[in-house]
Parts: sequence; structure tokens; C-alpha cells
Amino acid sequence: MVVTILDVAIGGIMLGGIYALIAMGFSLQYGVARVLNIAHGEFIMLGAFITWTLYTVLGINPLLSLVIVGPAIFIIGFILQRTLFTRLRTSSPSPGAYEASSLLAAFGLLFVIQNVAILIWGADIRAYAYLSVPVNLGGAIFAANRLVALLFAVVIGVVFYLFLARTRMGKAIRAAAQDAATAGLMGININQVLALCFGLGALLAGVAGLLISMTFSFQPTMGLEYTIIAIIMVVLGGLGSIPGSFIGGFLLGLIGHIVTYFEPGLTLPSYYFIFTLLLLVRPTGILGK
Amino acid sequence: MWVDEVNAEGGIYVGEYGKKLPIEMKVYDDKSDMGTMTRLLEKLMLEDKVDFVFAPASTAFFFAAASIANKNGYIIMSAEAGATTLEEMLPGMPYVFGVLNYSGRNQVPVMADLLAEKGAKTAAIIYIADLHGIEYAGVAGIEFDRVGIDVVMSKSSPPFTTELELLLKGARDSKADVLVAFTYPPTTFMAVTQSMAIGYSPKAIVLGPGGYMPVLREMVGGGGKALDGVIGEGAWSPKQSPASKEFYDKMVARWGEQTVDGWGHMFYWGGLQFFKQAIEKAGTLNQEKIRQVMVTSKFDTALGPTWFDQFENGGALLAVEAHPGQIGQWQWDAAAGKAIWEVIGPKDKATADMIYPKPPWPAPAK
Repeated sequence: MVVTILDVAIGGIMLGGIYALIAMGFSLQYGVARVLNIAHGEFIMLGAFITWTLYTVLGINPLLSLVIVGPAIFIIGFILQRTLFTRLRTSSPSPGAYEASSLLAAFGLLFVIQNVAILIWGADIRAYAYLSVPVNLGGAIFAANRLVALLFAVVIGVVFYLFLARTRMGKAIRAAAQDAATAGLMGININQVLALCFGLGALLAGVAGLLISMTFSFQPTMGLEYTIIAIIMVVLGGLGSIPGSFIGGFLLGLIGHIVTYFEPGLTLPSYYFIFTLLLLVRPTGILGK
Repeated sequence: MWVDEVNAEGGIYVGEYGKKLPIEMKVYDDKSDMGTMTRLLEKLMLEDKVDFVFAPASTAFFFAAASIANKNGYIIMSAEAGATTLEEMLPGMPYVFGVLNYSGRNQVPVMADLLAEKGAKTAAIIYIADLHGIEYAGVAGIEFDRVGIDVVMSKSSPPFTTELELLLKGARDSKADVLVAFTYPPTTFMAVTQSMAIGYSPKAIVLGPGGYMPVLREMVGGGGKALDGVIGEGAWSPKQSPASKEFYDKMVARWGEQTVDGWGHMFYWGGLQFFKQAIEKAGTLNQEKIRQVMVTSKFDTALGPTWFDQFENGGALLAVEAHPGQIGQWQWDAAAGKAIWEVIGPKDKATADMIYPKPPWPAPAK
């Protein structure tokens, strides 16, 4: 019984760690850069595939590829914000209009990235075995790769939070999140900050993809599923709140695992149920204002 | 590949035209969406007025497509699909031809016999919550009972899920001799990799669709050493006959080893060769006349002598005698340095003896 509870609880937290990274990235892009990035899941997919390629072709340890995958996806995100989204933002008459047009642009981006991935890697399902060895935690057995994924997720999440809370650049990002126009007047290079946010959001997604690829299978069309979960997590944690989305990620992973224990078929419906309930009862989420 | 081969010879000879007609393909993407598939299929038949249609992939999709084709008087031959539920309807569906082996008639009885013979007593079943999983799990309940294997766990998993850890732990805790995963990829792959990761190694693992895919070797690493003893639905092997070897080599040359499907490809290939000969014998593009030839004739294909068993006056299934095999197993071939997919049942088609119990998972490949 105790082992079963551990199985479900720790398993849920492990899944939650990966979810938390996805949610933080999404929150950063939506909360600050104001792009409801429907293509968020595509960056996860890219992260998974780049890691897989590095591992199977060049034999690079997936955890070491972090230093390649992270910056590579950051650059892609940064450039996208500086070109595509900045152009949209400056040509939109109002923030509302920008949210709508950037949503559509992100939707297009989804198809572009997905199809490029299919051209490069084919449509096949991929997976690889890395750290596929059992680890005993208080009688409950877990895959070592999940444990490592959780550690990485927590460390990256905390570092990221500290970056936002303690550094000058973090302060600029928070200022831009509250009021981009005023922050601009205060001498913050708003285009640079927004591009940084979008890039960092993509980076977090890419790292999540890297961690996912160690545990689960992946394919070029997997992105949207994760994007939908990301939206739910961000609403759960509170729109625009980075710590909120971090908590939201863990919470959803845990709830998902508990539901899976009783009836695997209800996992996804339970996410939607939480989403609906939340919108009705507390639309601002856990930490939202 | 079949179309290219036929066209390279000039096409299919159709008597009423007095010449060989090349095949022109019209391909639509159904986006793996059932509604899109049915609309496109009707469009092919009613608007494009094609001469012949090929079947969509997956059991549930074929189930939907079969009625549409039959209604419009088009012959439809199943590919990656084997709906037991369809069997009951076949007498009323004269245009429907099943090529792939079926769970109840063909595969699960063979699998149950093999396992029982080796002394398996209990089984845990994980099945995909769609037509395929429900049918196989249902049939397995009956067949395992027949041979005296207790089903101690039977749980469904959502289609295409990649998270199986909790279900696998449930199976582990049930202490069943046999783990059966009637799932589709990617779930099937996860049944292997996640079992390995939690150190769960039952006496036998039986996999559904995807279990025969060479990509599994890459997923577990080390040429598939860990797969040694993993059983799956299937099956055919290039070792079975010169014709199967020739087909295997052609597939590898054209598409690469990774793409060869150790379950169905041989069935589909034989089915296509049969179809061509049936059209040539009928000497017409008339569906009804070709259908008559298909249910009454025997042709030589890569499967050997091939014919269909008709259900009353309705549709037909490929005769079980023409099946290359029902159950396969990965077996480690040290000389080749990789795991090889062997046919283990039925015994008269087998290319290797069944390994039981499955060796424990090896230490992870470097």
C-alpha cells in the first residue's frame, strides 16, 4: 500500500517536473511576450529530436546535449521574436490585436516547424534507452532516467526563478510583464527583453523535450498535445505568474498520475475537467492576481 | 513498390481493353482522422470514380471503410486491419476481403497454446481502448481460459499514450507469468522500454502492433540484445521461403531494413499479387466479376498457393493455410550482432523454437 502511494506520488512529481518546465516556458512567452504560443509544443519536439540525433548519430550523452540543445533552441526563439513577432507587435494597433495576430502566426509556425521536422527526421516514432535502469526509492521502483529528469527540472526551474527574482535582467523582464510601454519609457530595450523572454521560453520547452526524450517516445506530430497541457497548467498556476506555472506543472503531473492509477483513460479528460472547473470557479488560477 | 513493379512490366493486362493498363495512384492524406478518411474514400469512389481503392490503415478505420466500399460496390482488401467484429458482418459484405490474420480465428489461439505448453499459468493484459485492443483482450480472455491460463489483470490504456509506468507496475504486482500488451505504437514500444526501466521482467512479454518493428532494436540499443525472447503478434520471416527472402531483400533495398514490418507486409504483398492475377483472369475492371474470380480462384503468390475463404455468399478472408505465421519472437543472433524476428507459431510455419522464459533484461547497452 505504502509502495503504491509512493509509486503514484513520486511518479506524479517526476512527470510534474517536466510539465513544470513546459509551463514556465509557456508562461514566459504568454505572460511577458504576449504570444499565446500554440507552437510551444514544437520546441519540445525539436528538443527531443535534436537530443536523439546527437545521441544516436554522434553518441553524445543526452544530459550533455543540454549545452547544445538549450542555446540552439534559444537562438531560434530569439530570432523568431525579433523578426516575426516584433514586426507583428509594432504593426498591431492595440495589444489585443497583437494577441490575436500573434496567435495566428504561432499557429502557422506550428505547421512550418512540424513539417520541417518531418522532412528532416521522417514521421516515425522514435525513442532510445538512456539510464533505463531501476532505482529503489523507499521500496518503490523508478526509472533512473525519470529521477534525473526530475532533478534537472527542479534545478533549472529554481535557477530560472532566481534569475527572474534577483538579476537586473530579471527585473527588466518583470517590468515588461507588468507594463511593456512604461518599462520602455524607463529605458528598457523592450524588443530585446521580449525576444529574450521568447527565446528563454523556447529554451525551457527544448530542455523539457530533451528530458521527455529520455523517458518517452516522440514523433514530429507530438507538439500540440503538450501545448494543450501547457495552457491548462498555466491557467492552473495563474496567467503570467512564473512560480504559479511551476507549481501548476507539478500539480497537474501529480493529479494526472493519481487519475491514471485508477483509470488511465480518464487522464486527459481529467485535465480538461480541471481546466473547466478552474475557469468557472477561480479563473485567475492559484497564484494569479 | 507493387505499383512500380507492375507498371515497369507495362501494367495489368485487362482482356476487355486488349492491353496492359498502367496503374495511376491517387493519394489523399486522411490525417489519421476517421471522419476525413470516410469523406475522402467516398470522394474517391463517387467523384474521382477511381477503378479500385486501397484500404486505410488500422482496424477501426478499415471497419468504417469496409461498409462504405461495400455500399458503393467497390472491392476493398484490408491492409493493416483485422476486425473480428467485421467477421460477423462478412456474409452481408461481398466486396470486403480480409488479408491480415484475425485475433480470434488465427493469432490468439496459437499464442495461448504456445504459452500454455511452456507452462505459463497467469497473464496480465494491457490493451488499447479502441476496437483492436478490445477485440484482442476479449478473445484472449476466452483463449487463455481454454488453455488454463488465469487472467489476473486486464486494464485498458488510452490510444497513443506514452505513459505506461503505472500499468506496468500493476502488472508486476499481479505477479503474472505473462505480460500481454495489445497496444498500438508508441504505447507498444513503451511497454518494452518502461518495463526495462523499472526492472520488470516477466517470464513472457507479448506485444501487439509495433512489437515486430525493427525500430525497437534501436530503441533498446545494442542491436536489440534486450529484445531476446520478446514475443509479438505477427509474423513472417525471410527464412520461410525463397519468395519471402526475395520480397524481404526488395523491401530492404528500397525502403531500408527499419521499415520492414514483420507482421503484415508479407500478407499485403501476397494479397496484391493475388489481386493482380484476379483482375487479369477476370479480364475486366468490373468489380462484381473480379470479386467472383477472387472467391473462386487459387493463385500462386509469394505466400505460396493463395486463396480466400468466402463467408456464405459474402466477403472473404485469406485462407489460414496461406498465412506465413501468427506469432513471432525476437531472438538474439550473436553472429549477426542483432536480434532477429523469428516465426514461432504455428509450429508448421515456425523458423525457430520459442524461448521461454524470456531472459532477464541485460545491463543497459553502452
